[in-house]
Amino acid sequence: MLLFRSEETIDLWCEAHGVERRPTVSLDQLWHLAVTWYENRLTAESRRPAPDEMAGIFSRIGLQGPFWDPRSDQWRRT
Amino acid sequence: MKIGREVESLEFETAVKLRLYQVIAETTRAPDAAELARALVTSPSRVEEAFRALSAKRLLVLEPGTGSRIRMAPPFSAVETPFLVRVGEKAYYANCVWDALGVSAALHRDARVFASDGHTGEPLGLEVRGGKPVPRPCAIHFAVPAARWWDDIIYT
Repeated sequence: MLLFRSEETIDLWCEAHGVERRPTVSLDQLWHLAVTWYENRLTAESRRPAPDEMAGIFSRIGLQGPFWDPRSDQWRRT
Repeated sequence: MKIGREVESLEFETAVKLRLYQVIAETTRAPDAAELARALVTSPSRVEEAFRALSAKRLLVLEPGTGSRIRMAPPFSAVETPFLVRVGEKAYYANCVWDALGVSAALHRDARVFASDGHTGEPLGLEVRGGKPVPRPCAIHFAVPAARWWDDIIYT
């Protein structure tokens, strides 16, 4: 994932690299993910969210659909 | 007896994880298996075994081709990256912009992120102040779907 100053530079980057444009993630959404993933990382109980949990976390902040579902087989290598 | 060994193994794995993150938080650099073995008064091979278990749980990424050196202990990076995070007087490297904010979240400290625009390369800083990001114009783009992030996590 990459950080950009604007939607315009995302478009330019996608065009330059032949990458499909995806919906962007806001700073607030990314902060929510950072806190959810890492606020307990320095404790004994810390663990990475399971795929089911990840899909729920993404969905609750508006990141929905197969692109954000780690269980999706839409992009499975053939 | 088998359950007893599994519990002991899990406890040791947790001890390795805690010590590892403690060293990174205090020194800003990731220890290798030999250094952790000395701190935990055990053998490097036992620490490497714990590294493998933590890697399987996607809590660590080892340097490719080694079993003893850490590449990523998310959100921290053991190598220099384009995401430098200053917390007080200390400077950490993060694996990506998500992890750059994650350094602040993990340490429960405000932070300044020194990054750059993914296309133009111009400096693009972020700041966490008072426990939340300071608003600024920017956007984050994920090119890889969630189901494929760990196909090549160093690229992702």
